[in-house]
Amino acid sequence: MAAIPIITPVESENTRTLRHVFSMILREPLSLLSTAVIMLFILMAVFAYQMAPFPEEGAGKTHASNTLLSPSAEHWLGTDKLGRDILSRIIVGARPALIIPIGVVLFAVLIGAPLGALAGYKGGWLDEVIMRITDLFLAFPSLLLAMAIASALGRGLDKAAIALIVSWWPWYTRIARGVAVGLRERYFVEAAQASGVSDAIIIFRHILPNTLSPILVQATVDMGTVILAMGGLAFLGLGTQPPSPDWGLMVSEGRGFILDQWWIATFPGIAIFVVVLAFNLVGDTLRDIFDPRQYK
Amino acid sequence: MQKLEFFLRRIATSILVLIGVSVITFFIARVVPANPAALYIGPKARQEDINRVTKQLGLDKPLPVQYLVYMQELLHGDLGTSISTKRPITEELTGRIPATLELLFSGMFIAILLGVPLGVLSARAQGEPLDVAVRILSIAGVSMPAFFLGLILQIIFFRNLHLLPLAGRVDSNLRFTNPLTEITNFILFDSFVTSNWVTFKDAFLHLLLPSLTLAAYPLGLIARMTRAAMLETLEQDYIRTAQAYGINQTIIIYLYALKNAISPTLTVIGLTVAFALTGTFFVEIIFNWPGLGLFTVRSLLNVDYPAIMGMTLFGSMGYVLINLIVDLLQAWVDPRISLK
Amino acid sequence: MKRSSALLSVLVVLAVLLSACGAAATPAPATQAPVTQPPVPTATEAPTIVPTPAPLVLKYASSANITTWDPIASFSTEAAYMANMYEQLLRVNAPGSAEQYTPLLATSWDKSADGLTWTFHLRPNVKFHDGEAMNAAAVVKSIEAEKDHAGASFIWLPLASVEAVDDMTVKFTLSYAQPLELILGSEYAAYIVSPKALDAAAANKDYWSTGVDAGTGPYMLESYKADQEIILTKNPDYWGGWQDGQYNKVSVQIVPEATTRQQMLESGDADIVTTIPGDSYATFATNPDFTVSTEPALFNYTAFFNTTKKPLSDVKVRQALSYAFPYDDIIKIGASGRGTQSHGTAPNGVFPYSADVKQYTYDIEKAKQLLKDAGHPGGGFKLNMTYASENSTEEAFAPLIKDSFAQIGVDVTIQPMQFTEQWALAKADPAKAQDIFLLLYWPTYSDAGGDNMYSMFYGAKDAPHLNVTNFNLSYWYDKDYNDLWDTANGLSGTDLAASLAKYTEAQNLMVDQAPAAFLFDTKVAIVTPNKITGFKYNLNYPDVRFWFYDLRAPK
Repeated sequence: MAAIPIITPVESENTRTLRHVFSMILREPLSLLSTAVIMLFILMAVFAYQMAPFPEEGAGKTHASNTLLSPSAEHWLGTDKLGRDILSRIIVGARPALIIPIGVVLFAVLIGAPLGALAGYKGGWLDEVIMRITDLFLAFPSLLLAMAIASALGRGLDKAAIALIVSWWPWYTRIARGVAVGLRERYFVEAAQASGVSDAIIIFRHILPNTLSPILVQATVDMGTVILAMGGLAFLGLGTQPPSPDWGLMVSEGRGFILDQWWIATFPGIAIFVVVLAFNLVGDTLRDIFDPRQYK
Repeated sequence: MQKLEFFLRRIATSILVLIGVSVITFFIARVVPANPAALYIGPKARQEDINRVTKQLGLDKPLPVQYLVYMQELLHGDLGTSISTKRPITEELTGRIPATLELLFSGMFIAILLGVPLGVLSARAQGEPLDVAVRILSIAGVSMPAFFLGLILQIIFFRNLHLLPLAGRVDSNLRFTNPLTEITNFILFDSFVTSNWVTFKDAFLHLLLPSLTLAAYPLGLIARMTRAAMLETLEQDYIRTAQAYGINQTIIIYLYALKNAISPTLTVIGLTVAFALTGTFFVEIIFNWPGLGLFTVRSLLNVDYPAIMGMTLFGSMGYVLINLIVDLLQAWVDPRISLK
Repeated sequence: MKRSSALLSVLVVLAVLLSACGAAATPAPATQAPVTQPPVPTATEAPTIVPTPAPLVLKYASSANITTWDPIASFSTEAAYMANMYEQLLRVNAPGSAEQYTPLLATSWDKSADGLTWTFHLRPNVKFHDGEAMNAAAVVKSIEAEKDHAGASFIWLPLASVEAVDDMTVKFTLSYAQPLELILGSEYAAYIVSPKALDAAAANKDYWSTGVDAGTGPYMLESYKADQEIILTKNPDYWGGWQDGQYNKVSVQIVPEATTRQQMLESGDADIVTTIPGDSYATFATNPDFTVSTEPALFNYTAFFNTTKKPLSDVKVRQALSYAFPYDDIIKIGASGRGTQSHGTAPNGVFPYSADVKQYTYDIEKAKQLLKDAGHPGGGFKLNMTYASENSTEEAFAPLIKDSFAQIGVDVTIQPMQFTEQWALAKADPAKAQDIFLLLYWPTYSDAGGDNMYSMFYGAKDAPHLNVTNFNLSYWYDKDYNDLWDTANGLSGTDLAASLAKYTEAQNLMVDQAPAAFLFDTKVAIVTPNKITGFKYNLNYPDVRFWFYDLRAPK
């Protein structure tokens, strides 16, 4: 996991318009490149079956006479042990590689952030209880916790996803709480309380929106982390099961062949690396935008 | 006195956290859907045998009772018996710790040895190509899947260059030709101390690739954090003052700035231990390294729930311990922290 | 200042400690010592170095783990090593050998006309590794212990009594005629064990757990590191004698990961391995340093239909589905071509296999027609199929079954589970169990009539899934089949030919009723390095890939 950003609650988000964000990103060539990679990744996920040269093979259909072919004009990245075109599998695999982490991060945020906002805003014993539980979950190395849960639940993509959500929500609780604690003394919150606005509306209307930027930074970086975690679980055999074209699974399947047919494990691994790198670079730039004090 | 109070409070919190960790771990392990008794006996078991073993393992009692029994055994140092190997888990753990520690130490050593100077250099050369290069390198290190890096290194150094061995800790032939007297089970240390140079060299070569693979992530993180901390320190007024006085830039960096960058670096080291722990799972599988990681992965796949519990507890305990040490060290370095 | 310098010195100390424990930046100057040198030169003047000849070590990367060192209780993968440390009275030879049996601890034997009394003459001057003499008393003691509490004790059910006639002669009396040679040559529950060890084990239940060896075989246990390695060393007094080129030591590394074993074989870290991932054999076949041979094995794959659930309770539906299994593709893709479609449940090469037992062909049109006849035109029902997630072959061909069934309108959900989970599901309540259970099976000893045909298909009228040995995973009961089996089994101890005929009749009935689909008999692929000679696979001992005594090291 990347380091936890130091949270400075921002006064308001008005200066951070979308346009401002984009112009900052586009200015730096590295983050521009990364954004392009992410766009390509999203395109692959959406148009997987149109883009893949051998779409049925991408989905899992085997082709017994084409096994272990090295990269060629017909199969740019070669074929695997069941004769499936690797490029197609990578493209088709982009869909679960994108959607599952988005789902995991989304749920983690949806569970974690409101909890943290509630804890920070209300303070007192509620804060204590929620934060103790959060700290407890954070006492485990996240991936270890996810692995233990995934193993207990059984193999499969859905179970791995649940395990990851359970392991990652605490990070967002902590972030949201930090923001909430900083904000609860602010005048506009006190004003709202004085006018009799309910706590729930204060939390959702005033506090949570201000958590957006640090959460967004964390979420972007977490996309990369969750992709790595899903790949790792699949590699070990705990997550996605065959014949799904999960990139981590493909690396695992290709592992026995690295001495002769190196391409089977290498290209999916590169795919994971490039996508995670892109998310991390964009996340890094986002951090620079929202918190320029911390890093130059 | 305030510091002492802080220390004691932190230690007390850690103990509470450990108890909480044990509860969660126990809960996870007992959610296991498979029938653990059936797992224990094996495929050709009969229903009467399964019932007998269920009673024998105490699995028919209500959950809270099971937890208390487990905690009681735990406090006596008994972590239960592994279902797959049928041996006490404490034995499995102690037998395999040296291998993993050797890996962790060398990995972290490489990460710190390379990461800190890289961070310093890139802070010094801020904005220049070197800085950009280090920034990309460190983010790359953080983005690289450990299971992939290991394979790539194997392909490059074993298959293509024939420079380094593929896997394992030491060549199995050596136990017959140059037998090693095992003292600590740290092969490098033992062979060094007994002057068994053949084994030392062999073990060193075997250690290289796994350590490098494990070091990638911490290296990236440490380089970045060191850079950031250095940059922040370099902006401080007293640095400017020193510069105004004409003190040599190198001395400024290494004597003044670096010292103050230690604190956030320590935090990072604590964080990276968490990763390094889980990183060993992948590294040990790929390099067939007989450590805790390999054992844990096998337990996870076999749903060997006592072993999973034991390993999760152990791993989390280690993590909590490291964080405690890091916090205490930081409070010692920067007393302001203990005032919070 | 003071605090920081203290901290710095702490870090320096840490760094020193780390470098002692971790990787040194540069290795100490390595003496260019040839590998055969003794490790520590102690004298200050150059010592005279006498190269000690390195022992001939066989490096074995094995998936077979030890569940117990007790040769009586042993019923699992440790047979791979037990069979090299212990011996039975005889060994069943691979099909196609000149002789049917190899005499081991017995040199000759005869039986009475009714097949109930057998007399065995023992080999003289054989000692156990602990020094005890191997004689009739020892044999009797071992057999009785096996009948009493062996892991596979059920093979001794037909034994009424065993006694020592004299010091070198043993008499077995059976209560019903059975092929006793097959039982005595069994991979499990048939080893002859030192009586001293048996006594010690009876007194101390942890006797075997430290790794003790009480056999008569060519290799002895030297050391054992649980879950990691086993070192065997040669028994210099072995009755079979020793020649040049035989291995002095066997160094076994226990490696559960197939991929890692493959890598060790390729890199030379291992000389021999148990198995590698199924689809990797093709790569080794083209490698000039290795030979890949394919031999019939006694494992086969069966797909049980849950006959208690609709629509599988209808035999027409089961027959229809039997035409929808892509048998050839399953073998090609699931087993990389290493297999032959089954004729019933007795595997190729094991009594009572017969090519006269019918098979279903892969015929989608016929399947559709039969479904229509059964009242399910176009299919239209769902089935849930489970397989053992540890089994990569099943993992590979399960999708093929799903695809094929989709063509006849049957929607299959594939559910990988740990074998024990799959088993627990099937044994609980048939009404809630899976619809199709994929199973890899093998008989405990080389009698698939007494084993497969009984264990998997001999049902009981009430609660057919609760018969004695439990593998009736289709919950099927057919009285005619049971009657035929009874007759056939009764004949197997006296007239093998007549027995075979009756078994074949029973199998044909079974195939017709299709309680399961009989997928394929496996062939095992063995990859061996060309530099080592003496391999011979014996399908009667499936857990024993290698008989170390037979191997010859490279010159």
